[in-house]
Amino acid sequence: MTSQPAPAASAAGADQHAAAETLASYAAGTVGPVVVWSVERHLAGCASCREALSAHVDARRLARNRSVVLVLAAAPDGRLRRLIRRCGVPDHLLRLMAATPSLRLSWLLSVAGVLAVVAGGTAAARYGWIPAGGRRVAAGPGDPALLVPLLVVAPLLVLAGVAAAYLPMFDPASQLAAAAPYSGFKLLLARAVCALIAALIPAVGAMLVVPGTGWLPAALLLPSLALCSFALAAATVVDPRAAAIAAGVLWLLPAVFLATSSAPLAVLQWHAQYVCAAVLCACAAVLCARRDRFELGWMR
Amino acid sequence: MTVSARTATVEATGLSRRYGITRALDSADLTLDRGVTGLLGPNGAGKTTLLSILATVSEPDAGRVSAFGLDPSDPAERVEIRRRLGYLPQELGYHRHFTVAGFLDYVAILKEITDRRRRAEEVARVLAAIGLEDRASSRIRALSGGMRQRLGIAQALLGQPDLLILDEPTAGLDPEQRLRFRELLSDLPGDPVIVLSTHQADDIAAICPQVIVLLRGRVRFTGTPAELAATAAGKVWAADQRDSSGHLSWRGGDGRWRHIGEQPPASAELVAPTVEDGYLLLSNAAGER
Repeated sequence: MTSQPAPAASAAGADQHAAAETLASYAAGTVGPVVVWSVERHLAGCASCREALSAHVDARRLARNRSVVLVLAAAPDGRLRRLIRRCGVPDHLLRLMAATPSLRLSWLLSVAGVLAVVAGGTAAARYGWIPAGGRRVAAGPGDPALLVPLLVVAPLLVLAGVAAAYLPMFDPASQLAAAAPYSGFKLLLARAVCALIAALIPAVGAMLVVPGTGWLPAALLLPSLALCSFALAAATVVDPRAAAIAAGVLWLLPAVFLATSSAPLAVLQWHAQYVCAAVLCACAAVLCARRDRFELGWMR
Repeated sequence: MTVSARTATVEATGLSRRYGITRALDSADLTLDRGVTGLLGPNGAGKTTLLSILATVSEPDAGRVSAFGLDPSDPAERVEIRRRLGYLPQELGYHRHFTVAGFLDYVAILKEITDRRRRAEEVARVLAAIGLEDRASSRIRALSGGMRQRLGIAQALLGQPDLLILDEPTAGLDPEQRLRFRELLSDLPGDPVIVLSTHQADDIAAICPQVIVLLRGRVRFTGTPAELAATAAGKVWAADQRDSSGHLSWRGGDGRWRHIGEQPPASAELVAPTVEDGYLLLSNAAGER
């Protein structure tokens, strides 16, 4: 905006042409919006001025702009991304999420498939369409033991999604992230939270289709969060892969043990929920205190 | 962080690193000046370990590194080094479902270029520099090996780094692309510190004013390519016959046998040494061959 030539509309009416210096300023992008408007209006109907304008255009700048447009076109915004951006999520954060394997459609479809099989089997047994499983597992369609497979699988799927979001083995370009200034902890948290939400939605949805689950979907939230936070906190102390496996085993052992007991859903009772809440708080504190360990790179 | 980027460069002293019982680096000392430094060494010499430590991706067991007066063992200063860093790892993995532009966009965000327009300009700039602008919307899985290698170089150039660390950047490039790569390095603005490892002695001779030879985790030579070649002066012979008297011998492109050793083989003539001769003599003396 260094110069403000007279509006082309006044200097270049129907019978007149835009002045050479006006066209030069227009091509350099140094004129104000009023002049831009009047020049463009004139150019639309004047072939000789359009031709004259070509001489003022910087070919290198034009090529650069073309490349930028091609780059922008090569990384387009999908509908979902536009929608999420409108909710206030920064564009660059969304693009970072694109490298998270557990947010890819193939992963989400796999999760949905596993849940559909487990929930479908449970629902079928509940409705009495298929036998209610082994003698020790369930006594009939109304037996709470029928919910055990769903109870065991859903938090594990959530954990797997979060683990895939932060384990370097799932990020082929993890060395680039390690050598980049972007905060490793920020990246980890963003990916983990998104993966958590993406896995919880189908898990809760699957439970809702099974009759008689009652508070099960809500009651599984705390154990799932506790498991994921334990895996993340443990990853600041031991190998991240070992931490994820340990978290899975810590869930699997009591869940399976209780499944064969007289109270198969005891893990969903209030006292178990308190334990999960305590684990979640403790792990969150450890995670915050040791977040530097996720600044990838300067670690063994 | 107040040290001027123009006055300070990169220094490493006493760098050591072990992997189990393998000693990858053994008290390596080096100084990198502005311009291109070539790192020569056989497989397993510790080049990748050294470069990953300089790139702040791994930590040494002993020794210290200073880049532009910044210490990577301090978290804040490490981030500051990374803001000035471009790094091409030896085995760079790709998100194969990404487009070329999408991948560079992703790396640009990791380099804290968050403004979308600025990112697009930066991505367009490096794509043009590396000659991939017409592949911006291609999926990475559809690229050839050479193109992927160029994409790796392109991502390292994002943000106009002051310290460029390239681990075998010419691997997989055809001769024409290697020439273009050499031109690219010599045309980089801002006179950055560049260190590259390579097996190609002719790359070193063509683009590196300084060369470092790393053997068994130790720096065995630091100097100019001419000085490296000069270490073999009077010890390189050409003959029509193979010699098996303890010389290091191989057949050259002209069909004649080239020998390196103190004593001339039978009916051999003394020839001018090359960078490769100097390197081979050095590695042979260190028991690498």
